[in-house]
Amino acid sequence: MTICQFFLQGRCRFGNRCWNEHPGSGGAVGGRQPQPSGSNRRGWNTTSQRYSNVIQPSSFSKSTPWGGSRDQEKPSFGSFDSGASTSRNRGFALSQNPFASPSSDEDKDEKKLLEGIVKDMEVWESSGQWMFSVYSPVKKKSNISGFTDISPEELRLEYHNFLTSNNLQSYLNSVQQLINQWRNRVNELKSLNTSTKIALLSEVKDGVNQAAPTFGFGSRQTVTFGSPGFPVNNSSSGSAQNFSFKPSSGFAAATSGSASVSQNTPAFGAAPSASSAITTSTPAFGFRKPEITSAASFSFKSPAASGFGLPRFSGFPASMAAGPVGVPVAPAFGSSSSVAGFGGAGSRSHTAFSKSSGDAFGISSMSASLPVSSGSTTTDNVLFTPKDQLTAEELEQFQSKKFTLGKIPLKPPPVELLNI
Amino acid sequence: MSLFGTTSGFGTSGTSMFGSTTTDNHNPMKDIEVTSSPDDSIGCLSFSPPTLPGNFLIAGSWANDVRCWEVQDSGQTIPKAQQMHTGPVLDVCWSDDGSKVFTASCDKTAKMWDLNSNQAIQIAQHDAPVKTIHWIKAPNYSCVMTGSWDKTLKFWDTRSSNPMMVLQLPERCYCADVIYPMAVVATAERGLIVYQLESQPSEFRRIESPLKHQHRCVAIFKDKQNKPTGFALGSIEGRVAIHYINPPNPAKDNFTFKCHRSNGTNTSAPQDIYAVNGIAFHPVHGTLATVGSDGRFSFWDKDARTKLKTSEQLDQPIAACCFNHNGNIFAYASSYDWSKLAASPCSSELTAARSLGWT
Repeated sequence: MTICQFFLQGRCRFGNRCWNEHPGSGGAVGGRQPQPSGSNRRGWNTTSQRYSNVIQPSSFSKSTPWGGSRDQEKPSFGSFDSGASTSRNRGFALSQNPFASPSSDEDKDEKKLLEGIVKDMEVWESSGQWMFSVYSPVKKKSNISGFTDISPEELRLEYHNFLTSNNLQSYLNSVQQLINQWRNRVNELKSLNTSTKIALLSEVKDGVNQAAPTFGFGSRQTVTFGSPGFPVNNSSSGSAQNFSFKPSSGFAAATSGSASVSQNTPAFGAAPSASSAITTSTPAFGFRKPEITSAASFSFKSPAASGFGLPRFSGFPASMAAGPVGVPVAPAFGSSSSVAGFGGAGSRSHTAFSKSSGDAFGISSMSASLPVSSGSTTTDNVLFTPKDQLTAEELEQFQSKKFTLGKIPLKPPPVELLNI
Repeated sequence: MSLFGTTSGFGTSGTSMFGSTTTDNHNPMKDIEVTSSPDDSIGCLSFSPPTLPGNFLIAGSWANDVRCWEVQDSGQTIPKAQQMHTGPVLDVCWSDDGSKVFTASCDKTAKMWDLNSNQAIQIAQHDAPVKTIHWIKAPNYSCVMTGSWDKTLKFWDTRSSNPMMVLQLPERCYCADVIYPMAVVATAERGLIVYQLESQPSEFRRIESPLKHQHRCVAIFKDKQNKPTGFALGSIEGRVAIHYINPPNPAKDNFTFKCHRSNGTNTSAPQDIYAVNGIAFHPVHGTLATVGSDGRFSFWDKDARTKLKTSEQLDQPIAACCFNHNGNIFAYASSYDWSKLAASPCSSELTAARSLGWT
């Protein structure tokens, strides 16, 4: 088939129906809507962005498969995306083979995240950029611990103060100390042994919680009370690991500020003004937090409902097509190791989504965990099944690399078998 | 008014006249250099508002002073006046009628400088250096907004020594911008808050930072109806995020772009990444200018998402920039911004760029 020139420019009106070939997504997921990415024509890099709709790492104005953010992603993000897109394709493949193993998606996402972090650290070190800055691996999340934010002006002021007290040496010493601290932290993150990994992942997932709220609500707007300024690393009151969204601290504080103004104030359960603005198409799921039973006021189903996962999932292939909206919200949904916070922008949504895509299929284990999460605090015996409760066949399934059709266990895997 | 005292700024320490035969790069663009530049790094620049005939430029420097020049259409700059603080000056702004200049300094105060009488009085007090200062003119009130490293945002009626209002920030204020009725404040720890200023300033929304590193500068832009609709946020990592407040399609409308990096589009080799020190929007065309630690300034079109122009590299970082009220003049300050952490001999040049005529 001839290659569609309009698609290359990112503006094919026919999208899926086009009679010409759309390279890169021709064989993959059907139904991706044409992205109105007219501005792709003139990229920032002034190289013609011919494959603007195709995921390309680190190209500016590329559109992510979710029709999501036009963020120009750093290579790490690009790798996120390409990872996501492949896992998305895999998700599609999963739709044909619903019994593929869901757990590998999670690992992949974590790996992507960690790789992204490593890459960012390398870039940070080699590029000579300002060291005393906080850093967060995925844009909309909280900052990783171990970095402090010092602006050049503050440092310079310190210098001036020391200068007047004729104490330059102590200034230099303290700067040296800061530099060393920074370097240590960067090296730690670069080398990533298991303990840092675990700490990082939990930070990113849980520590994010405060920041999370925003995007959970399907609505793409950036109403966010989870400003990073908030006590970021409060791993919230230990409730369900699955639903790491702890808006409470964020909200309670934030709602004080902006009560009146925005129509989009989500005010999740924290403030009474639960706006229906959130009810844009997708059930947001973000707040499966048990406390928020006012979730009922939102459009998404309350946690207890078993229908929880389903609406989204059943719509799965379709929602893939739907581009931005439906998809990104999906992630919020309880993947136990969901790295992604909320739908938010591009990359993260991929990860979670693709994961949940895996989850969707043959997921009774997830639905098993659903009701669990709504109430429980530590949920070890409900998130995982102790080995002795598994039949031999189930155990074998868990231990094998992939689930076999027809034999997928209904219970969650035992904790011993999980590789984190 | 008096010239700038004992400074050696004029004609020395690097402010060579253009057309000089040395190959130093302090003014590769051959723009007009402002005479009597401050001695130490310039922290902030501000042009006078349209209510004042002519163009006056105010610059605050780390030499504790604030200077005023008149910039004539011919490009000539005439030093006009100067005021001192007891600490480096971090931000300056004009009142809307052009009669007063507000200056914020590391000495934890902000002062109001009446240009007619050349008197400056203190109007604000914080517990830590005041990093940003803006004048707010609302239909029912007008005040000065100061943001400081003491994590507060205070609003001052210039006549009283108590603030009209104090708002808490999650972290130290790093940069802010005001275009009525919207104000944006970017803080440390990647905090980002939007305020609405109608009837009284109140917090509108806290936004998740679209950037991964420390925030450095922010500038609000307006839509075609001249209403503020979003902002551009620059970080230390050579990246600017364009963010709309209520876009029809946030995922598509908000984006970030890389700038002030050494390697252009080639991402395989390690690049040098420089901080974006200042962002300014052209008042008429809506194009934006960014200046960075790499000593370059660039102009961008955020709607077409293209880069319009990049300057040659100056030998020092560019610390601040500003457009005049009709966009004819672009001023940028080339001076050390502490990006290399050590004290560097600080000559600073203030350059008023040629009239920017493009379509």
